[in-house]
Amino acid sequence: MSVALQVAITGLAAGGVYGLVAVGYSLVFRLTGTIAFAFGDLIGLGVFATLLVAVGTGPVSQTNVGGARYALAVVSGLLICVAVGMAGYLLVVEPFLLRGSTVGWIAGTLALAFALRAVLQSVFPREAYVFPDPIPFERLGTDGFVEIGGASIQIRLFYVIAVAVGLALGAVWLLERTRFGRGLRAIAEDADGARLVGVPVDVFVPIAFGLVGALAALAAIVASPSAPVTIETWPLVGVKALAAAAIARFVLPWPALVAGLGLGVAEATVAEINVASLQPGSGWSALLPLGLALAVLAARPPDDARDDAE
Amino acid sequence: MPATTPSESVTTVGRTSAELRRALAETRHAWSARAWLGTAVFAAALLVPIVLSSHVAVDRLAHYAYLAAAAVALGLVVGPGGMPSLCQGVFVGLGAVISARLGAVPLLVSLACATAVAALAGAAVGAGFARLRAVYLAVATWLIAWGFALALLASPRFVGGTDGLVVGPGHIGSVDLTPTVHYELGVVLVFVVVLGVGAVRRSALGLQLEGVAVTPAGAAALGVPRGAARTKAFAVSAAVAGLAGALAVHLALVADPAAYGPYLSFQLLVACLVGGAASPVGPVVGIALVGLMGPVGEALGRLTGAETARFGAMLSALLLVAVLASGTGGIVPALEARLRARRRPAPEARAEPVRVRTGERLEARGLVKRFDDHVALAGLDLDLEPGRITALIGPNGSGKSTALRLLSGSLVADEGRVHLADRVLDGHSARDRARLGIVRTLQRPPAFAGMFALDAVTVGAAADLPPRAVRAFFATPTARAGGRSARADAHSALDAVGIREAAERRCDELTGAERQLVAIAAALATGPSVLLLDEPAAGAGAQEVARLGDVLRRLRADGLTLLVVEHNLRLVHDVADVVVVLDRGAILARGTPADVAGDPRVRAAYLGSGDPNGETSL
Repeated sequence: MSVALQVAITGLAAGGVYGLVAVGYSLVFRLTGTIAFAFGDLIGLGVFATLLVAVGTGPVSQTNVGGARYALAVVSGLLICVAVGMAGYLLVVEPFLLRGSTVGWIAGTLALAFALRAVLQSVFPREAYVFPDPIPFERLGTDGFVEIGGASIQIRLFYVIAVAVGLALGAVWLLERTRFGRGLRAIAEDADGARLVGVPVDVFVPIAFGLVGALAALAAIVASPSAPVTIETWPLVGVKALAAAAIARFVLPWPALVAGLGLGVAEATVAEINVASLQPGSGWSALLPLGLALAVLAARPPDDARDDAE
Repeated sequence: MPATTPSESVTTVGRTSAELRRALAETRHAWSARAWLGTAVFAAALLVPIVLSSHVAVDRLAHYAYLAAAAVALGLVVGPGGMPSLCQGVFVGLGAVISARLGAVPLLVSLACATAVAALAGAAVGAGFARLRAVYLAVATWLIAWGFALALLASPRFVGGTDGLVVGPGHIGSVDLTPTVHYELGVVLVFVVVLGVGAVRRSALGLQLEGVAVTPAGAAALGVPRGAARTKAFAVSAAVAGLAGALAVHLALVADPAAYGPYLSFQLLVACLVGGAASPVGPVVGIALVGLMGPVGEALGRLTGAETARFGAMLSALLLVAVLASGTGGIVPALEARLRARRRPAPEARAEPVRVRTGERLEARGLVKRFDDHVALAGLDLDLEPGRITALIGPNGSGKSTALRLLSGSLVADEGRVHLADRVLDGHSARDRARLGIVRTLQRPPAFAGMFALDAVTVGAAADLPPRAVRAFFATPTARAGGRSARADAHSALDAVGIREAAERRCDELTGAERQLVAIAAALATGPSVLLLDEPAAGAGAQEVARLGDVLRRLRADGLTLLVVEHNLRLVHDVADVVVVLDRGAILARGTPADVAGDPRVRAAYLGSGDPNGETSL
């Protein structure tokens, strides 16, 4: 019971972020038919830009920073994330979409991903970084942990879950209730039709690119202080969230969100499994969602039948 | 090898030697400045370590030679295959890890095992995902690339922990594999793979791949085995990558799991796209440039005093984006376009009469098709006889194209039966039906953009050939004979539709009417018994319609069974034996052109819905 609770909370905290990122992938896919392969690296950019403004590149001994500087750091991190996301769309996605070159935008977004990673690696050369946290969770409970039903749970995680779920609900509200969201759904349905009825497609799509990046980066910034952060952390989150989006067949918004949450919990469960001496450990836990996503993709009907539709 | 009787082995030997002589003649014919250049570059590359041994890091060059082999192989999947594979590095890594694990066994055995495992993995990836659209294929292969990297990291006992698996230098026979030997091996491997990929591209498999990539629906209508051809391409490409990886691990002397991550797959893709996947040599040039980015990046790092030399990755990314943005399709294809290398026609183009099967009777009974609430076809009966042209006409939305698609198997009927002679067609896919002789052309003629007309028609001629990848790669007599007979069939088919002179022109340079004729020729080249044509006269001028009419009459005289869906009533009047008029999914009238023309209900249907061509009089 106590283990189950611990697994559920850890899993939901990770899964909330996966879900948000999965919503981002699905929205981009529905809007443009492309996969944002640089999504994870873009989030990493936002997180590390925040770190740079908050504490610089040096070692962080105290994990807390002042509120004002932290707020400034978060805002600049998000702005960079949005700016690079939109610029990336305009430079390496849209030109190839217009030309009908699928391999062009695939390679272009991958190039963006690896270029961003290389930049981060040259600015942040150390193995791992401690991310600052303005809220002193470690003063709550016992060193930041609370006992619930025999399980010792990091109090931060509740905060991460609350923020991720809040942002996700915000995204759903944006998509379903606002004029902007209706416009996006119209584009997703039929871009040319949306253009005809006056939806500013060329403005909405880049904004959506920037916005999903900012939402995901915000969730990532909130989640980052829970564990040491490396350059590889966020690209990997990006891949797992892509798997979640593929499992949900890129359907918005609930399937993508739920797939992300479920993936987080499943991952936490696999990491806890300890049967006799056989302990798969956290290394294998990431393979579960990838395998599931591949199974879903392999089960798709052949696409040549669709090509014939006139 | 199955036991062969003496006479069989004699004919095999005879066939092989005849084929060799023919290959020699063809090589002599095709020998050009480019071939001289290639041979010279190959010879010069072999001499590099002897001449420049003190100036170059031979081990580094050898490493890049192996990478180049893997990239050239990827070019088969990305180029003619049109599949954005993001997991070529996995096959390299698989070959490396397998060969390193087999440390103690003789090197050749270990290499063979690594190649075989990589080929199987490639076949599995191909079987799982190659039939998908490019977007989903990219997602799947990207997840595989990450999954492989994570699996290696998660199994330290298998891959020797953070130090990696240490391997001995290895030897083949009494030859120790020094870096120089590795380099020479690598250059020979690259040369063989370039030739092999070139041979695959010219083979039946290559044309099937290209046809599927540029015109999926057109290739499907011709019965091209899409899944099988693409899976074979993946398997061959993976086998080469596995062999290259296995050889490279004996050069590096350690299998470092961190080296086989998604970044390796990305680098190989970069090499393909920068050099140009449309040419077998392109990826070699690409690897050379990617390899140069490393030292250039290091130099930049020293200049700027940056702590780590991560500039290489940034430069590769920039280079890739620059080449992609230029829209040239890579450096080598751009150079080739600049040199305007014209293709020489094949030496022997003896046109024999096209191999039309005897026409067969196609019969449809009570075909019903609904789309949601809309009934597209409400119980259609059709009798198509050999040596007769049946025309299916009717206003837009009357169900003509739906009927055609039901007959050809690209749509499944909700009710009703189709018989071909005595055979009931039930659950036969479009490909199955194409193999039985029912072939359809598409309403919009498949563009086959960038392909030569002859090649486009050869896609049809090669549709029923088994996609034999290994034979194609090594250009065995069987593969060459298959390719040659397919090309001969394509020539005859072009002859049969009267556009022989268009063979060596590119499809995008042809007029719409000529492209329709190319599509008909491709369908004819499959050796059909029933031909279903969807608006062959769309967009054709009066003269071209007359020419098309002549073609159809000739095919009828050959005994083919023909169904023509057509809006151009002049053509229908000129050639049809029977006209069937559809309106709102049901048959309105049936008879000779004259009967139907006099039918007031037909006139009412046409005038009521607006005649698209303004040619109401039959």
